[in-house]
Amino acid sequence: MSCKPGEPCHEGLKRRRALAVLGLMAILFVALSAVSFLDSRGQAVPSQVGYAGFDAVEGKRVFQSYNCMGCHTIVGNGAYFAPDLTKLYDKAGPAWLEAFLPSAGAWPTSGAVRRHLQDPAIAAEAGTDDLDAYLEAYPAAAERIARRGGKATTMPNLPLTREEIGNLIAFLKYTSQMNTEGWPPTPAVDGLSFPQATPLPAALRAAATATPQEGAAAAAPVSAVAHGEALAVDNGCTACHATDRQRLVGPGWGGLYGSTTTLADGSAVAVDEAYLTQSILDPDAHIVAGFEPGAMPSFADMLEAGEVAAIVAFIRSLGETKP
Amino acid sequence: MIRIEYETQRLSLRFFMVMLVLFFLQTAFGLLLAAQHIDPTLLAGTLNFNVLRSQHVNLAIFWVLSGFIATILFVGPLLSKRELAEPWLIKVLFYALLAVVAWNALTQVLAQQGVAGWWMGQPLLQEGLEYLEAGRVADVVILIGFAILCRVVLRTFPPRAQWNEIHWGLGLGVVALTLVWIFGMAFVERLDVQEYFRWYVVHYWVEGVWEVIHIALVGFLLVLMFGANVKSVGYAVFWGISLVWLSGLLGNAHHYFWIGTPEFWQFWGSLFSALEPLPLIFCFWHIYLDAHQDGKPVANMPAFSFLLGSVVLEQVGAGILGFTMTFALTNVWSHGTWVTLSHAHLALFGTFGMLGLAAAYYAVPIMRGLAAFDQRPGRLAFWLVFTGMLGLGFVFATGGTVQVFVYRTLGLDWFSGDVAPAMQFAKVSVPVFGMVFASGVGVLVYDLLTMGLRAPAAAGDEAAAVPRSAGWGRRLSGWETGLWLLAMWVFGGIITLGLLSFNLPSVQQGNALFPYLMAGIGYPGLLLTTLLFVRRFLRSLEARRHVPAAPLVVAAVSPAGAG
Repeated sequence: MSCKPGEPCHEGLKRRRALAVLGLMAILFVALSAVSFLDSRGQAVPSQVGYAGFDAVEGKRVFQSYNCMGCHTIVGNGAYFAPDLTKLYDKAGPAWLEAFLPSAGAWPTSGAVRRHLQDPAIAAEAGTDDLDAYLEAYPAAAERIARRGGKATTMPNLPLTREEIGNLIAFLKYTSQMNTEGWPPTPAVDGLSFPQATPLPAALRAAATATPQEGAAAAAPVSAVAHGEALAVDNGCTACHATDRQRLVGPGWGGLYGSTTTLADGSAVAVDEAYLTQSILDPDAHIVAGFEPGAMPSFADMLEAGEVAAIVAFIRSLGETKP
Repeated sequence: MIRIEYETQRLSLRFFMVMLVLFFLQTAFGLLLAAQHIDPTLLAGTLNFNVLRSQHVNLAIFWVLSGFIATILFVGPLLSKRELAEPWLIKVLFYALLAVVAWNALTQVLAQQGVAGWWMGQPLLQEGLEYLEAGRVADVVILIGFAILCRVVLRTFPPRAQWNEIHWGLGLGVVALTLVWIFGMAFVERLDVQEYFRWYVVHYWVEGVWEVIHIALVGFLLVLMFGANVKSVGYAVFWGISLVWLSGLLGNAHHYFWIGTPEFWQFWGSLFSALEPLPLIFCFWHIYLDAHQDGKPVANMPAFSFLLGSVVLEQVGAGILGFTMTFALTNVWSHGTWVTLSHAHLALFGTFGMLGLAAAYYAVPIMRGLAAFDQRPGRLAFWLVFTGMLGLGFVFATGGTVQVFVYRTLGLDWFSGDVAPAMQFAKVSVPVFGMVFASGVGVLVYDLLTMGLRAPAAAGDEAAAVPRSAGWGRRLSGWETGLWLLAMWVFGGIITLGLLSFNLPSVQQGNALFPYLMAGIGYPGLLLTTLLFVRRFLRSLEARRHVPAAPLVVAAVSPAGAG
């Protein structure tokens, strides 16, 4: 494959032959490609995947708009900073994603997932409205709640709207349905039993082995504030509300009690027990200026009156603004 | 050649300067990314990882393209034996390049707010696809820029009947550069179809177009540096390009294993992309032949060092590391992990980045009218970036091997809880080698930007630094080169076996010993062999200045021995 100066090397002829071989290979490539996208293969198509009335194609636009691929991978392509998202919907399920995406800075707790299962549309997609059945159907959600629930993630909170979240979940439902020829490979062992896995907190491990009744009986009587704090964490309140004055998805709770806040309609209202109780039971009754209605669900069906009072007591314990 | 022959060659200088500035910025973004890998809360919410990464990746593409444009503008008149056609268009191209780089840097930040500028179904501002993050507005400007480059190159070249193989290589290269870009300019609903076409741009750019431009430019730079015969080099360029395209066209199938395309791609991809190293071995062999066709001292060592680095890292990063993960049975593990980062960094920076730097070291002194220049900063910078990049390749690959085991074999997918702690050693080592690399970048950018403008350094006693023509400095024979190359491939084979071993039942049951052992031998072995080979090669060339009369005899005797 070398040619000395002065020798006839027939470059033109060889060039034409090389181009001819290349042409044959291009034909082969095009033929293989055409077969790859035949409808008869039954590959999932986003325009045919719906999720609770949301659209997977729009979800792909959301996925690109936030450059999700710049940290995560999808079908293995992207950055390697965060986990692959292709099969996440299959593993963690819609209610976990609904609980996670509005405030991605913290891992959802079981309360937050339970709250989203109250939504009939989400429960229909999940196949159950019962938390225990859900965790059994989506073991990755159970693992995430048990090991990570309530902890901070390394993902920034993104300004996703309700619409964007629904569409994004529709897109992830579509990618879960894709046939990716067995990738990623299924592990043959339970990784959680290996030393590389961050162990479950000791208390949770004990609770996991105890029955719910025993667990409840073992719990010592606690103050209303401590009870309220546990409820706020368990129901996912603190995923959106900081315990200081910082604004996350919703207003921070620090120094909130006793202050006067301005509502979206311009009126001022005193933050007292009645106001906070109503905001938990019917969040859209009063919207604070600068926030969107519809961001927070009603907890009327999920909390007893005593539990709401305990959460209010917890908020009050976080600092009171004297009028 | 110590003076430029055509006035329009000077137009390349501004592109070289832009290349250096963008390279510096890209390195800085790389260091920030390394810091975020260690502390993910750093700058979170201000400059998120995905935004920094898109800047890092896009600047890499922009500065490599700047280097290509600059080199093509510099050699174009020499190849055509006339001035560049339409110099005003080149000035337009320059300002378009500046504008599109700045515009793209600004629009990438919008990803934090989820703003893509959707209009008529197309994302105008940014589109969040790896390597193609630029929005449609930037895409169109880039397309126009490529079209300008095509027009200038094709109008500068002589009539087609007079084209030699280097004309063909560059001509086909710039036209294909433009055509392939078009496949990245549409929003695609289906993820599998989108990935299918995204790899048209990414794969056919690097393994088709850029590789072709690389081969043609390396060939011509060898002609310029060593006075190699244009016809023989051209013939080698023809074979290089033929092998690249014949293996790379179907080799693209290695991107179609897991994206939702059928299983048969695993056969075609494994087969043809395993052939992709062939042209790289060919190119490697040719730089040896051309550098040894006479025994004259090399006038410009920094330029030759970077050119050698380009061809060697192409062999190691693209050829060997690419080969290790090109089979469906190894790729199923390496895909989507840090293992691929070692390949990407060595191949992209090594092959294409170093070519631009080699051309800059060749062309800038000529355009600044320097008969001689202080070569020490350039040589130092070469060793810093070369060592730094090999080190980065090592930590990415070993960190990636741990990641494959923890993330894929054990199935632990909590990155901040399980995966990152397991990779902690590698994550901390990245900025260490990153700083070595960055210091080299600092030296070379300063050296090239101010070359001929700053007060010349006191002439060092360069003769004293010339190594003896013995030991590491003795003449490098073809046999020895072949042995070095063989050693690199043996380590490549060990790496391949290591990746393959993730399929073993014992590894699947959670015993990582074998893959860790193979990676622990293979990666350091490969990268150290590479480092030592380049040292050996360069020492033997430097030693030529010691023996002004002898080389002709040596050269006449040893080719027979080199077989």
